[in-house]
Amino acid sequence: MSEPTMAGDVAEMFREQIEYRELLAQMTKRDLLLRYKQTIMGVGWAVFMPLLNTAVFSVIFVRVAPLDTGVPYPLFAFCGLWAWNFLASSLRFSVNSLTGNTSLVTKVYFPREIFPFSSVAVCLVDFAVGSIVLIGLMAYYGVWPGVSIVALPAVLLVHVLFTAAVALLLAMANLFYRDVKYLFEVMLTVWMFATSVVYPTDLIGGRLGAVLGLNPMTPIIDAYRAVLLRGEWPFTPAFIIAAGASVVLLCVSWFTFHRAEYTFAENI
Amino acid sequence: MEPRVVFDKVWKKFRRGERHDSLRDLVPSLVRRMVRGTPQGLQAEEFWAVEDVSFTVPAGQALGIIGPNGAGKSTSLKLLTKILRPTTGACRVQGRVGALIEVAAGFHPDLTGRENVFLQGAIMGMSRAEVLERFDDIVDFAGVGAFIDTQIKRYSSGMNARLGFSIAAHLRPDVLIIDEVLSVGDMAFQQRCVERMFEFKRQGVAIVFVSHNLQAVADLCDQVLVLRRQRLFLGDPVQGISTYVRSLEGATDSQGPVHITAALVDANGGPVEIVKPGDRLTLKATIDARSAVHDFVIAFRIVRSTDQLLVYDAHFPASDFGVSNLSDGGGLTVDFDFRANLTRGQYQLETHLFDVESQRHLAWLRPAGLFAVEEHRTWGGVADVAASASVTRIER
Repeated sequence: MSEPTMAGDVAEMFREQIEYRELLAQMTKRDLLLRYKQTIMGVGWAVFMPLLNTAVFSVIFVRVAPLDTGVPYPLFAFCGLWAWNFLASSLRFSVNSLTGNTSLVTKVYFPREIFPFSSVAVCLVDFAVGSIVLIGLMAYYGVWPGVSIVALPAVLLVHVLFTAAVALLLAMANLFYRDVKYLFEVMLTVWMFATSVVYPTDLIGGRLGAVLGLNPMTPIIDAYRAVLLRGEWPFTPAFIIAAGASVVLLCVSWFTFHRAEYTFAENI
Repeated sequence: MEPRVVFDKVWKKFRRGERHDSLRDLVPSLVRRMVRGTPQGLQAEEFWAVEDVSFTVPAGQALGIIGPNGAGKSTSLKLLTKILRPTTGACRVQGRVGALIEVAAGFHPDLTGRENVFLQGAIMGMSRAEVLERFDDIVDFAGVGAFIDTQIKRYSSGMNARLGFSIAAHLRPDVLIIDEVLSVGDMAFQQRCVERMFEFKRQGVAIVFVSHNLQAVADLCDQVLVLRRQRLFLGDPVQGISTYVRSLEGATDSQGPVHITAALVDANGGPVEIVKPGDRLTLKATIDARSAVHDFVIAFRIVRSTDQLLVYDAHFPASDFGVSNLSDGGGLTVDFDFRANLTRGQYQLETHLFDVESQRHLAWLRPAGLFAVEEHRTWGGVADVAASASVTRIER
């Protein structure tokens, strides 16, 4: 056998994804069907959590400590929570996606990327459902997007690429070290408050603010608000850097994942 | 043309014992690795599950892998299906691989049979269109038609396995990898599975087959690999099976209260390898008591090696011979005289001592002897009843 080359591996990564594209669809469908069957609210959960959080934070930042965000605060918060929720639930789902399918990992061969990818795909469906609520809220507050809405697919693409990159890393890390799952839960809460989800992080300022500026989720969420709520173009320098970083991170994490996946069956 | 399956000097290393999978263990191991470099050979706790095994399987042929538990059979199959990757060596499979290793692994209990067929089909690499086209055949073959819209968790384990096998059987693979699936389902279903495998072979599918059912291996396979981490034998199935059965020798419990040794001889007292039906044979056994035993039975059994079919099982109470008490250090010799009224095949003899009072085996020697029967009349069966045919034309 020839030594695995980088080019050969990359070619294999893409070939396998094309070969098994129907499996990705089937696994996504499986998880959606299961959720629909096992829970009464089904996709309702996708909108319930961000709505509840919006209500809570609206009380805090409208009544207790009023905050000027340039748009009605509930709209600001829901947009942030809705976008954040896609990342958070994708990652929550993928961190267990390999370890929760032990029998498949040890008994059947197919590209293991399918597990975290289908987790992200399921959450993308929830994300689409949540957008209906966002449209409702926008209509209620009379906020309409401008022509910059055409940039929305670009924002979504960066968001998905970044989420998939982190999902691959977390799924793999949790397979090798089971405490990753717990550590991740803690980090996720901290990460949310380090991102401009319920308040703009540029209000923090100082050295801490500079550190938080490295968080790629802030420009991504700000980009959603720019195209949806403010009628502005999203392509700020911070967003472009975040986009580039997402692509690089995805390449690195996918390649690492692919190199490691042959050891999954014996390490799970 | 290169064979469909190539297994070339494959070695596979595993770790024994509990794996440490918390972050706490990561730092020390990283430091160790940085200081000493990545280890190449065997570390403590590591062992070779497969050592330097090679074989090839051309299109339209079947290879059977036999060996005791833990011999590396399932590991070899997982290497073939890319679930595991060899530590060194190469393992190449050409074309579409159908794996019947755990046929129901992808099933989700909360989904219906129909939903699971599409999911499992996709896991095995079938497109939705292919599954749709063969859906009715799959359901018919599995015989679960009335329950196809029922959740899998309501299925019996037999139905579950039948549906799983049926999906795999409709994959139309180039290479089929089968692990002990014949143990599922009833007799009729097993028969259909075997027929299906012969059909695959005729269509040019290369098959790798692991089973403890040696008769099925002998029937289906063109070559047999006897595995015990290393390759003990590769070649003719009948020879391979006999190599395997011989390798199991020494199964007698040397720590027990009684020790048995035995030798099989023919009517002239010479050693026995191949006999004709009806030949007279004698199994000469020696029994050594290491503690006092009373009231026991001496048993003599004939078992067909290929499928472990019990052909004959006779009990001789020691009291019939006036030797029911055996003191510590006492001994007996027993001659079992018998006729090999058997059809063509491989047979093994077994003998054991059974304590009537405690209902326990005092000693068990298997195989106590091995022989093969050669004749060219029968096509199956086990008992030679010396049938003959007389044929006359009806004059009209």
